[in-house]
Amino acid sequence: MKLLPAIVLSSALLLGAESGEVKSHTLSNGLKVLVQEDHSIPNVALYFFYRVGSRNERPGITGISHFFEHMMFNGAKKYGPKQFDNEMEKSGGNNNAYTSEDVTVYTDWFPSTALELMFDMESDRMANLAFDPKIIESERGVVYSERRTSVDNSNGGILYEQLRAAAYTAHPYHWPVVGWPSDIEAWTMDDLRAHYKMGYAPNNCTMVVVGDVTDENIMALAKKYIEPIPSQPPPPAVRTKEPEQLGERRVVVSKPAQLPIEYVAYHIPAAKDPDITVLDVLDAILTQGQSSRLYKRLVDSEQLVLNVGARGEESLDPGLFVFTMTPRSGIEPARAEKALFEEIAKLQTAPVPSDELRKAKNQLLALHYRQLKTIAGRANLLGSYEVFHGDYNKLFTIDKDIEAVTSADIQRVAQKYFSANNRTVATLVPEVKK
Amino acid sequence: MTRILLGLMAVSSFAAEVRLPEYTRTTLSNGVVVYLVRKPSVPLVSFRVMVRGGIESDPADLAGISAMAAQLLRRGTARRTADQFSSELDSLGGTFSASVNEQATIVAGEFLKKDFAAGLDLVSDAVLHPSFPEEETRKSLSRALDGAKALKDNPQAAISQYFRAFFYGPAHPYGHPPDEASYGSITRAAIADYAHRLYVGRNLIVLVGGDFDPAAAAGLVRSTFEPVPAGSAYEWAKDAKPLAGGRLLLIDKPDATQTYFRIAEPGIARTDPDRTALELVNTLFGGRFTSMLNDALRVNSGLTYGASSILDLHREPGAISIATYTRTDTTEKAMDMALDVLKRLNATGIDAAQLASVKAYVKGLYPTRELETADQVESVLGDIELFGLNRGEVDDLFSRIDAVTVERANAVARKWYGQGQLTFVVLGNAAKIREAVKKYAPSQTEVSVKDPGFMTRQ
Repeated sequence: MKLLPAIVLSSALLLGAESGEVKSHTLSNGLKVLVQEDHSIPNVALYFFYRVGSRNERPGITGISHFFEHMMFNGAKKYGPKQFDNEMEKSGGNNNAYTSEDVTVYTDWFPSTALELMFDMESDRMANLAFDPKIIESERGVVYSERRTSVDNSNGGILYEQLRAAAYTAHPYHWPVVGWPSDIEAWTMDDLRAHYKMGYAPNNCTMVVVGDVTDENIMALAKKYIEPIPSQPPPPAVRTKEPEQLGERRVVVSKPAQLPIEYVAYHIPAAKDPDITVLDVLDAILTQGQSSRLYKRLVDSEQLVLNVGARGEESLDPGLFVFTMTPRSGIEPARAEKALFEEIAKLQTAPVPSDELRKAKNQLLALHYRQLKTIAGRANLLGSYEVFHGDYNKLFTIDKDIEAVTSADIQRVAQKYFSANNRTVATLVPEVKK
Repeated sequence: MTRILLGLMAVSSFAAEVRLPEYTRTTLSNGVVVYLVRKPSVPLVSFRVMVRGGIESDPADLAGISAMAAQLLRRGTARRTADQFSSELDSLGGTFSASVNEQATIVAGEFLKKDFAAGLDLVSDAVLHPSFPEEETRKSLSRALDGAKALKDNPQAAISQYFRAFFYGPAHPYGHPPDEASYGSITRAAIADYAHRLYVGRNLIVLVGGDFDPAAAAGLVRSTFEPVPAGSAYEWAKDAKPLAGGRLLLIDKPDATQTYFRIAEPGIARTDPDRTALELVNTLFGGRFTSMLNDALRVNSGLTYGASSILDLHREPGAISIATYTRTDTTEKAMDMALDVLKRLNATGIDAAQLASVKAYVKGLYPTRELETADQVESVLGDIELFGLNRGEVDDLFSRIDAVTVERANAVARKWYGQGQLTFVVLGNAAKIREAVKKYAPSQTEVSVKDPGFMTRQ
């Protein structure tokens, strides 16, 4: 068998040559700033990564980080309700935000002409958010609507929530980012104020700027608008560690549905652990592309499922590696599950042939380069690496890290994490009407 | 007040125009149109092949045939089995996708710069030499059939299909979404015949974008696509009209805890002279966060996570449709409010400040939305060719936007919004909302989400 050629490109080159080096600074109040100049289009991506998410919550206030993400658009001291969006849109910009278990991220895209406005508005809401009881009640309705859409009326959403709740018994990853319904209904003004004080300090944030800017200008604006905001004690450490899982767990959700769904999750380490890169390669072998093992067997040759996917989480605390599949009509989920477990067993018992390993690495490297095509993609990767891997420079060695993965690594990691005792299986079973 | 000043400053300092990057356009002897556009910011090359036809070319009883043909392109060719194709593609770390929209099949692939020849070989092999093996066809059809069923488990995806069927009606080329019945009727022979007729020189647009050597690329693309038979050009549908309004379709999903709805009226074709003004007005009405609809239904009242207005831009006139959802017991309140906002746009129109804001918004985001990456530029160029437009579509865009006055915008708002009888599609728990929705339209139809199909055989 011929040896596949390796993809040889360096992400340091991609990030460095065409678009300028990444420059890193820290303000006196602790805000970390990453800047990459790129003048190919007259636009800017400005991202704020706050290290606060649902892992910093407790029962009774679950979902409050996400609710807070919404409140950050509802008025501060200088820019009142609606003004953040109004000012931004009429300056040619657009924004969004997302909350996960670990972080709350605010994403701004705009023409470089609006740069100073964005610093003025972002610093206003970082320092002086307003809490209007009427707006809070209205936004509660919005967030509940979001939950109804993404969880209550989504078969996949509700199954995933149940999967996580079963896989984690002690750690805050147990509850959903959007929050339990009863908590959404019950947050108080005091809860919100306390959460803001805990999470929204400059020293708990990394700011990433990529696009039509200069490093000097960004630092001048950062000093003017953000440096005067005082630092605060960071959020208390999350003390609870998830105890080792001692046996398989199963959850069933019974709901009207055309087809069943099955999710299978295994506990894996946090993003910083070197095994995460091995799991990425393993994921590519199993599910990336129509030549992957699970696609070929489950979707194509045995026609057991409509689709199969997998994702290893990159999280601050130990996360999950989750397989997802939709069994075909007339196929018992147990049959699809058996085939999945057999494929996992093959990875544990036999080394991956070198050509197949080469293919998976090429897929991952190409995917990585694709994420660098846009200023938004680069801002997101730089921030994520800084927060989850502790240093954005890790982004420049990702190609070497992927290259270093061996067939023995795959086998070892498959044996270590993909055991029956470490497994949680959640199945959505179509309800049979009497 | 800094609020207005800041906005004005930003507008006045905008780039005066955007321009397409340099590109070449060549027509081969068999009618294939080839675009080459260099954008060497990352060492990747992307190919895009468009085939005229798309959903419009599906016969009503074989709905989905264009999509099935597209899906099967990689599942066996004259030179490769499906497995060989996938293994080669994945080994290069390449991407391959094939999908259909209202007027075209779009095959796209992206490869590392060094794999230009291998990538072009894979993409062209799929487009020009698919063999549609019997077994692969059978598997794909059976999977598509299950997919049509599974779509009913996703209310937002499902309502789009019901909407298509109900708004356009079965006689319209956009009015027959594929379903269990149509997938049951499609055969291998019909797919092969479809591809044989449509995938010919006169229907093909080939675009190459990214980092490559233009001279070498031009030669290779020519030698690859020149041998394709010219065939006959696809004949576009003409004068297709949606059904009249004054109708409501209620889709019963008894376990739904919220109601999804669409309120629609006829809109424009992609090339309509009103399009620039209408895109601005629609963005103000329901195309951005601060839009009139989102402001009323989300920001001011908390009735929904999001409310928007969708302006279809296809070859034949499409719909202008309000799309949102709300919890079951606020269905009537939300629908009334959406209709009030529509009435307000029609009666009061927009003012100079709103128009200035939306002009800045559309211009400010245009570079990241359309011109940042090679594949975006290819998509823009491909549509220019497909819709018979020219590079002024991009190069003159900002001056066309600047030329829209408040009077013009309001004339367009009055002409296209709240024109008359509306079409409603509502998906939710019928027992709880059936009475409330009766007032919206004289003609009411109800189906269950469990019934096969999407209401195409009304």
